[in-house]
Amino acid sequence: MTGTIFFLPGLGLGAEAAAPLAAALGDRFRVVGIDLPGQGEAPDAADGSVGALAGAALEAIEAESDGGPWLLVAHSMGGKVAALVISRVLGGQANVFGLAGAVLLAPSPPTPEPMDDGKRAQMLSWADDGPLSEADARAFVDQNVAAPLGDSDQRNAVGLVRRTSALSWRRWLSEGSREDVSATVGTIDLPVVVLAGEEDVDLGASAQPGLLGRVYPRARFVSLPDTVHLLPYERAREVAAAVVELWESTVSVSPAVPPHWGRVVASDRTPVEARALLARRAIADDVHYEPRALSAAQLTTLGALADRVVPQPEGRRIDLAARVDAELASGSGDGWRPAGLPDDASAYRLGLDALAAVWPAGEAEQNALVARIVDGESIEGAPWSDDLLRLWFEDARNDLVRNWLAHPASLARVGYDGFATSGPGAGPAGYVELAAGTRDPWEPDDLGALASGHDDPKTDTDPGALTGRENTA
Amino acid sequence: MNLSDMRTYANDEIVDVVVVGTGAGGAPLLARLAERGLKVIALEAGPNLDPDDFTNDEVEAPRINWMSERLSGGEAPTAFGPNNSGWGVGGGTLHWGAFTPRPDIRDLRLQSETGVGADWPIDHAELIRYIVDVERTIGVSGPSSYPWDTEREYLEPPVDRNAPADLMALGCSRLGIRATDAPAAILSRSRDQAHHGRRLASQNLGSIHQGERYGTKATTALTYLPAAVAAGAEIRADAMVHGIERDELGRVTGVVYRQNGIEKRQRCATLVLAGGGIETPRLLLNTGIGNSSGLVGRNFLAHGAVQVWGRFDEQIRGYRGYPSALISEDFVRPEGVTFAGGYLLQSLGVMPLTYATTLVRGGGLWGSELLDALDSYRHMAGIGINGECLPAEGNRLVLSDETDEWGVPRAVVTFTPGPNEQAIDEHATATMTRILEAAGARDTQVFARTAHTLGTCRMSDDPAAGVVDGDGRSHDVPNLWICDNSTFPSALTANPGLAQMALSLRTADRMLR
Repeated sequence: MTGTIFFLPGLGLGAEAAAPLAAALGDRFRVVGIDLPGQGEAPDAADGSVGALAGAALEAIEAESDGGPWLLVAHSMGGKVAALVISRVLGGQANVFGLAGAVLLAPSPPTPEPMDDGKRAQMLSWADDGPLSEADARAFVDQNVAAPLGDSDQRNAVGLVRRTSALSWRRWLSEGSREDVSATVGTIDLPVVVLAGEEDVDLGASAQPGLLGRVYPRARFVSLPDTVHLLPYERAREVAAAVVELWESTVSVSPAVPPHWGRVVASDRTPVEARALLARRAIADDVHYEPRALSAAQLTTLGALADRVVPQPEGRRIDLAARVDAELASGSGDGWRPAGLPDDASAYRLGLDALAAVWPAGEAEQNALVARIVDGESIEGAPWSDDLLRLWFEDARNDLVRNWLAHPASLARVGYDGFATSGPGAGPAGYVELAAGTRDPWEPDDLGALASGHDDPKTDTDPGALTGRENTA
Repeated sequence: MNLSDMRTYANDEIVDVVVVGTGAGGAPLLARLAERGLKVIALEAGPNLDPDDFTNDEVEAPRINWMSERLSGGEAPTAFGPNNSGWGVGGGTLHWGAFTPRPDIRDLRLQSETGVGADWPIDHAELIRYIVDVERTIGVSGPSSYPWDTEREYLEPPVDRNAPADLMALGCSRLGIRATDAPAAILSRSRDQAHHGRRLASQNLGSIHQGERYGTKATTALTYLPAAVAAGAEIRADAMVHGIERDELGRVTGVVYRQNGIEKRQRCATLVLAGGGIETPRLLLNTGIGNSSGLVGRNFLAHGAVQVWGRFDEQIRGYRGYPSALISEDFVRPEGVTFAGGYLLQSLGVMPLTYATTLVRGGGLWGSELLDALDSYRHMAGIGINGECLPAEGNRLVLSDETDEWGVPRAVVTFTPGPNEQAIDEHATATMTRILEAAGARDTQVFARTAHTLGTCRMSDDPAAGVVDGDGRSHDVPNLWICDNSTFPSALTANPGLAQMALSLRTADRMLR
């Protein structure tokens, strides 16, 4: 499967600034550069807000996304836009699905961007009389690179700067860069890599952890020597390596949601809240997850138990133990517990400690132990009677499998598309075809045959076919 | 629902009636009393909801269920949470399955007929008159001809059958078992509901237990509660009643409740408890009121709800369509059996996480067997029962030492099926297995389950044999009434929702005498 990389450029650049990255990545990824308003051929936005830039970026992503997994690569100004884009995507507010992570290049933060007044004034003056002159565009590029770019890159970059509309240039410097969108963005629980240059003044490697650490708690910060600010040109190979590494550590190790299923999640048939929940559940778990309800040892035991109760293939896994721990920490619960057991988190701690003490090494022995507990046998050092141990174990088994099944890849695997009902564009809200072996036209084609009289609206060559409400008619 | 323009009352005003709960027990009564000009307030522990608050996501949907923990004991611990009491204006009708068979006359005379269980101190014909009233008000769809009651008439045609209903119908016809479209409180034609507005016809949603946005399923929040508000009732959401105040003579003078963290009191001339089979006895036990019989919390009943699922070659995908679209009443009194009572059959489609929980809890599955069973989910069609349950000494609700977020002791509910329940389960399992096999199932699986929470404040003519009389009035406290399924003296084979709404109207009429 080819992955998709959406690229949001920095100030003065444009979709074409993705070219060095695309070249470095080769055939494995489809790199989609996006002109933000005022860049390249894109018209100016209705206003100078970051939200207007994010809205335009999302429209482009919606139009180009294929339902499969994708990463967002965003540079400088594009990084601030990316924060809003990600927050809307994970909030279910865009007709897309499959966001797996982001690579941010010297990103502008959601808070007002630190910028020297003199520099701002100079940059504003360049656009006083319209788009930047050749000399000013060169000066801009030269200020933002550690060593001169190659001729071709230099020509492209200067050309993009000159094509940037003066209005969008001024708006960013006077409005967008100064806007505080941090309250809207909040905290984003997504795998993120932040690359920044050691020679960059305001958005450099030393500043980024302070600017973004709280926004992206899962961010990894990478410092690039002999680099200023134009990372898409200066460090295309390093950016490509970061993209590949992020992909390998997220998409490649997570259960895959088939793209034609992803398109149904993205469509207007799916309610906003359901799309948000599925988007967040599809994100790869944090390998550095720190348990909040259990101890590290208890989490390890729960993980070993999860492997027996809900066996997953090597390589593509959901960290069920981490997800159950997060649920326990939230205190959500299921409304009841067996009389005689303490509260859920305490019961898990006691039960897992007892299990750890007798947990055998081999898989067959582990299965035998699980079978004995399910059958109501006790274990040495059990904190409760045989029956209570069995009942706690039943709760744990249930929590594990529900967390597995709530993942969109699992729902696709078992053939459930009911999340795509009751959405804003679902007409009717539910199903028309109810008979065995049949499906409605909007449903994934692995779920049955169309009743006669329906033309299948889907083809493999039309990735957007299921994303619009017109297809549900 | 829209509560913005409702009439409101002051805490120190002595209103005529306070009703605790807004589900099938509280809402019809609230509407009838308000329509007769009484000053009435309903207190609902949960929030007031908008249609968009409902989600088809099974992890998040329990926002409409009572999720404050209950403790379950016995050999068949009752699974609360998503399975039982409601949370929010509309109560249990927000999540109910809307499966609306009428109670069978034989079930109301269980004790007279079989010598076990209890009779209802209520005339069946009178109850049916109220049921017809409820069916008309909330909109109940059903077949044009009902095989077990040829005089019955449903005003709305049945909702569409889904694949499990088709297969159950096929299996039944091959075995000579009568089955037909299930009566359901799901509209098959759109309608304008008085004081609410437009309700759409069935959208064939399988997620009705998670709540439904279009008004196709009748809830009290779409029907009786808007009527009550239009007639001058006040509905206070987020108001958890945890105390009852009384005068020297023992008469109720008001209730104590917590709303948004603030302790409040509402004075009233009469109190109606309609919090359901768990919350009503919990409140009475905690306040020590109305229990001279010692029967508050006793006689806990849970319907037998065993399920059999068959695997078919084609994709069934029973999460499409109304989940219980077919019914058979052929086994309300099966022939040649030694047990008392009987059971109803219904076809089953199910949501995926609910099915997974059934596999784990009811089937004991784990590991590769569990995953194989989940991979077969799309091929499965089910049949389930609603079976009679006899009262037993050990099946009861008591208070725990542990308190909940309102400082009220948690309920401990103990339930162990007795020989009669086991015999019904076995008979029903054999019947359902035969039907599925006759329909072509490759293999079948049986999952143990129970459903509903009944009987904990049973009604009786004899004050020593129950908590309330046949009208719902406390045997001990004359201005205290109970109007929820805790008053059911026996479980009935019919699901309780419809009968409860009818009882609610009847209790209101008794109060107005």
